[in-house]
Amino acid sequence: MSEEQNQNEQVPAKDRPIKTAQEFTLNAHKSYWPLALAIALCFVLVAVTANNLIVLGIGTVLAAAAIIGWGLERR
Amino acid sequence: MATRTIVESPGVVRRKRLDETYIGEWLMTTDHKKIGLMYIITAFFFFLVGGVEALLIRTQLAVPNGKVLSPEVYNQIFTMHGTTMIFLFVMPMLTGFGNYIVPLMIGARDMAFPRLNAFGYWIVLFGGLFLNSSFLFNAAPNGGWFMYAPLSELTKGCGNAVMCTPGMNADFWLLGILLLGIASIASALNFVVTILKLRAPGMTLNRMPLFTWMTLVTSFLLLFALPSLTAASVLLLLDRHLGTHFYQFASGGDPLLWQHLFWSFGHPEVYILILPVFGMISEILPVFSRKPIFGYTFIAWSGVAIGFLSFTVWAHHMFAVGLPPIAQAFFATSTTLIAIPTAVKIFNWIATVWGGKVILNAPMLFALGFIAMFLIGGLNGAALAVVPFDYQVTDSYFVVAHLHYVLFGGSVFGIFAGIYYWFPKLTGRFLGDRLGQVQFWLMMVGVNLTFFPMHLLGLLGMPRRIYTYPANLGWNLDNLLATIGAFIIAASVLVFLWNLFVSLGNGQKAGNDPWDAFTLEWDTSSPPAHYNFLTIPTVRSRRPFYDKKNPDIADWKTVTH
Repeated sequence: MSEEQNQNEQVPAKDRPIKTAQEFTLNAHKSYWPLALAIALCFVLVAVTANNLIVLGIGTVLAAAAIIGWGLERR
Repeated sequence: MATRTIVESPGVVRRKRLDETYIGEWLMTTDHKKIGLMYIITAFFFFLVGGVEALLIRTQLAVPNGKVLSPEVYNQIFTMHGTTMIFLFVMPMLTGFGNYIVPLMIGARDMAFPRLNAFGYWIVLFGGLFLNSSFLFNAAPNGGWFMYAPLSELTKGCGNAVMCTPGMNADFWLLGILLLGIASIASALNFVVTILKLRAPGMTLNRMPLFTWMTLVTSFLLLFALPSLTAASVLLLLDRHLGTHFYQFASGGDPLLWQHLFWSFGHPEVYILILPVFGMISEILPVFSRKPIFGYTFIAWSGVAIGFLSFTVWAHHMFAVGLPPIAQAFFATSTTLIAIPTAVKIFNWIATVWGGKVILNAPMLFALGFIAMFLIGGLNGAALAVVPFDYQVTDSYFVVAHLHYVLFGGSVFGIFAGIYYWFPKLTGRFLGDRLGQVQFWLMMVGVNLTFFPMHLLGLLGMPRRIYTYPANLGWNLDNLLATIGAFIIAASVLVFLWNLFVSLGNGQKAGNDPWDAFTLEWDTSSPPAHYNFLTIPTVRSRRPFYDKKNPDIADWKTVTH
């Protein structure tokens, strides 16, 4: 038997124990900046393909915002 | 109004934040297991897309003078089939397994850069959607998965107004591949740092699981090989849109530059697609042979040798362009040399199974099937290293047979072995073994029926990528067999989907260590908790979980490594 064997039995969500603060600190926080940056880069790509400067501008601003947001985010 | 709420403290009710909703958890996750699962699901979706494209190709070629697709659409379909299977199925699938399994195997809580990890996944998803969105504009890439210049140049630059790509087709491919390259670099960097810096105490490189070893080698290959493709793509974009002429012979450029740049990425790429599968097989065979892996050191270092040698063989894809004899001799020799470390692995896998208490369940069947099919792919690859023979069959269906024995018989069989093996860890349930065995045998028959006749077609002179053919060339029967085989493969995939559907709902519960396995990923719950391990394990041998379960006969008591 492993010591972690029963730590995540299939129990209904409402019955699961609340995570301790220590558990939260073990892993990185969730973040929406990676998704935002990926979407921004997609805008840039579509703009380059479609030769559309407006979309390119939007994509570039979004990408810059995502990079700044990512950098400033609390770890 | 606020229907989805949580209680923060007695009497205070607030709306859930985005990251507390189910969808938000997946959109914002930085957990390697969730990201790994998303990679695997996305890759499998693209496998189905690429599979449908393959069926369209085979339907078109089933009989002479076929007109199922128009020539233009046919070009788009075979290009996207190759691109999808390589860049959107095999690579993301292996990255997904690496994401999920490697941190667990080495006793880490997560990847070294969790946000970068998430970013890589989203780029793969959007890159795949971007590439496939080209179908909506009837401008899907149509120059083959290696997009040779000057065929991929605009009208002005290709030297022949008929044989060029004036539309956006090539742009979609180039930009999509650039995007996917960013994702690959991100994930490769992440794997290198994770594996080198986050291993559990006591897990020296010499004790690292072989899947982790191969993931490490693959990551280095990606880091060194991808810049070449990126540079080639940027130069082609400049040619197409900013008036440069890197690949335009009439203006002093060199079309062969594309081939050199592409294949100096493209051949390491073959090993990027197969080395992690070597690692998977090296994990599965010992568990179902009830023996330690035979020749661990040789398997690990032959992977490293393959990694180095893979950068020295690229021009064997270019024998027919008229390389000088000394170059032909060099690349023929290096290509033959790379067979040696590959054979070392195969001999060690056979020695691992030899004399073991073999359990012939679905993962083991797929692993053994992998060895057999990959061996055929390796042998006909060695034949292609012989320059005079390569002259005869270059760009023929013989080459198509070879690459499919390597990538389907090899990578796909190995991936299914991995899916059956690690599914209990990912979900807590078994995939049905009986259906798994049905799938295996169907796939085995289908693969050989599809791809073996292609050897004969190549020897009979059938060029790859040909749209259709007249009835009097002797190609009819082999093409029909290949098409029947492709539909048998499709049936095997349907069996898998049914198995997946049934097993996720009512599959037998697996427990934490259903295979009595040896490595650390089985020393935690199934599926693992967010933090993987409550306490980071300490490693004293190559089979740490075996040691824990068998303290009296632990490896570290009897073996020194």
